[in-house]
Amino acid sequence: MKKIFTLIVNVILIFILVACTNGEDSGKIKINFWHMSPVGSPSYSPMRRIINNYNNSQDKVLVTGTGFSFWDYWDKIGIAISSKTTPSLGLSTIDDVEARASGKVLFNLTELIDNDTSDNNIDLDEFRDSQLEFATYNDNLYAMPFSATARALYYNLDIIEEKGFSEEDLPTTWSELKTFAKNFDEVDSQGRITRIGFDPTYGNATYHGWLWQTGLDFFDEDKNPTLNTPKHAEVLDWIKDFNSEFSRNQLKTFGEGNELLGINPFASERVVMIVDDDGLNQKIVDANASFNYGVTTIPIPDEDGVNVNWGSGFSIEMYDNGKRNEEHKLAAFDFLKYLMSKEVQIELAIANGWLMSHISAMEEYTEDKPILKALLKEVDNARDKIYIPYAPSWHGNDWQPFYNAFLDGEKTAVKTLEDARAYYLRKKSNYEATH
Amino acid sequence: MAKKTTLTSLKKQEGIMGYLFASPWILGIILFGAFPFLASLYISFTSYDMIQAPRFIGFANYRILFTNDDIFWLSLGNTLYHVLIAVPLGMVVGILLALLLNNKVKGMSIYRTLFYLPNVVSIVALSLLWLWLFQPSFGIINEVLSPIYKLFKLEPLGWYSDKSLSKFTLILMGLWTSGGSMIIYLAQMQDIPTSLYESAEIDGAGFLKKTIYITLPLMTPSIFFNFIMGLIGGFQVFTLAYIVTNGGPGRSTYYYAYYLYDQMMTDRNMGMASAMAWILLVIILVITLFALKLNKYVVYLGEEN
Repeated sequence: MKKIFTLIVNVILIFILVACTNGEDSGKIKINFWHMSPVGSPSYSPMRRIINNYNNSQDKVLVTGTGFSFWDYWDKIGIAISSKTTPSLGLSTIDDVEARASGKVLFNLTELIDNDTSDNNIDLDEFRDSQLEFATYNDNLYAMPFSATARALYYNLDIIEEKGFSEEDLPTTWSELKTFAKNFDEVDSQGRITRIGFDPTYGNATYHGWLWQTGLDFFDEDKNPTLNTPKHAEVLDWIKDFNSEFSRNQLKTFGEGNELLGINPFASERVVMIVDDDGLNQKIVDANASFNYGVTTIPIPDEDGVNVNWGSGFSIEMYDNGKRNEEHKLAAFDFLKYLMSKEVQIELAIANGWLMSHISAMEEYTEDKPILKALLKEVDNARDKIYIPYAPSWHGNDWQPFYNAFLDGEKTAVKTLEDARAYYLRKKSNYEATH
Repeated sequence: MAKKTTLTSLKKQEGIMGYLFASPWILGIILFGAFPFLASLYISFTSYDMIQAPRFIGFANYRILFTNDDIFWLSLGNTLYHVLIAVPLGMVVGILLALLLNNKVKGMSIYRTLFYLPNVVSIVALSLLWLWLFQPSFGIINEVLSPIYKLFKLEPLGWYSDKSLSKFTLILMGLWTSGGSMIIYLAQMQDIPTSLYESAEIDGAGFLKKTIYITLPLMTPSIFFNFIMGLIGGFQVFTLAYIVTNGGPGRSTYYYAYYLYDQMMTDRNMGMASAMAWILLVIILVITLFALKLNKYVVYLGEEN
């Protein structure tokens, strides 16, 4: 009895072991690709299909995809780089390619593109120079622009038409924006704001975005903080004064209400116009919103305004963890070429709801999609934020406490900018003392 | 003689077996404890961006933190405030809960479970729950307090969005996990011989006197234990601030561990983050050693012979 039992167990174990090996995959070069379509997300299945299509199209390379949520991704890729456990290919932010390229953790793509004689090589003419510049270090390309994000002004057409306006009346300058927005502000009997025309702090509208439109910047060419001109303070004051007829408390309560609802205030029709990126369009589509909306260029200052918006696209990179041979590198490059091809870029746009970097692919994809088409138009005016080694989060963690203190009325614009500048300078000197 | 040799070899064998059985733990502590511990000490003397190899820079990280970094001192101050209020308050709440639950009432085990339950709830879920409850404009806590606000003609409290209240609000939120220390207090309370209470009752002592003269003195070992653990945990406060306030408003809840995290993950300054970790270790060590020195004066360790 005991012998029979042992025999059965052994047979089952051997069967399981045999079943676990995949005969078809043996002999293939295995590469892995990290993306932002985790299991359970709407984009997971389309992304998996894109990878499977590649695997089925040839018999030399086997790609496995791993998806992380946007919020988890950055810690994972950062730790993977430092521990040399990077995937063969992964996404990252295009504005700091320089940091990774100088750290020698990326493969040189210029060499690979120049040496590739296949007819499916990456056509660099299909990508914007403004994005390629960010992916270039020491005259060599170390990443490819993957997505092409742009900020634009979303407007609720239903509410605009309800008030007797049309798309013809949409504002193009800051003063027009203010006048137009005031037509839509609404307050209830208890003095609580129920709807607001526009607020320059909502959505993806940022101080640096408004600053760029005036031709100013946070940093000069040597990456020193500027911020100390009267014009810088004027822009800050313009942001705060935009809705000055409301008290800070009213605006705060309205803002908190938006946060509590957990959905974008534009998507919930509490804000009539908002500056946001292509992600908002996808959110509205996913939420099956029933209102009509459109997208146009963000209004610019009345005098000497620059038509520019904050870009911030993803890059795709091939990681060199010091253990990968030429064969592996070429296999990863082959998959990269596939991902950067026109057809796959369209598939990726459908999968993620992002605007991708391939110019003609996106022109074709957005042909019958007016919102995306308008957003794509804005990509040509998009500008990425520069990488500041001593303050990588200069626009986020570093700037936000100063910005919030100003908006809460704790400091004047001049004092806010003075303090922020001193803070950046201190960070710079500390960085230089240790690097 | 032969017998002696056999005994020695047996002892040796036994020793080897002992080490073999303990080896997973020993390896674990070397690989996952000692190595990162010593590595972080070395990294604290380097400039390390987690991309390129660490470069030795001596005491520069420490010098900068102590002499040229306002945020370091601000975050340390915020953390000290948290420790000074949250640790004693947590102990008081824990003891009160234990006293309350040290009764022979029907269904007591259910109450004990209920009070302990928050300790097994994810701190992220817990933070989001409190975020809603303390929401200044729409939260239920301000709704409940609204008659008081009206009576005294007060503005509703801003809780976590008010710079002067934000730290205290997070402390209040943290009190919800006092059930953890309550279990330890309760265990020790139930170890107190009933004969002591009986003789006190004969002498006419009421609940208050019995608590002050019997229960609390005999609970000092567990109070001391919770105090030390509270200190260590208090200096590492992070999650609530990260989720509820993002360190704001105006960096008022930007705690030491939060700054350390930002140095590491946002600024990619692993050397500085490691230096901060070692400074924190020294702070906790000094305070703990000082507390241990007081041990013999404040902790009841049984009658001396």
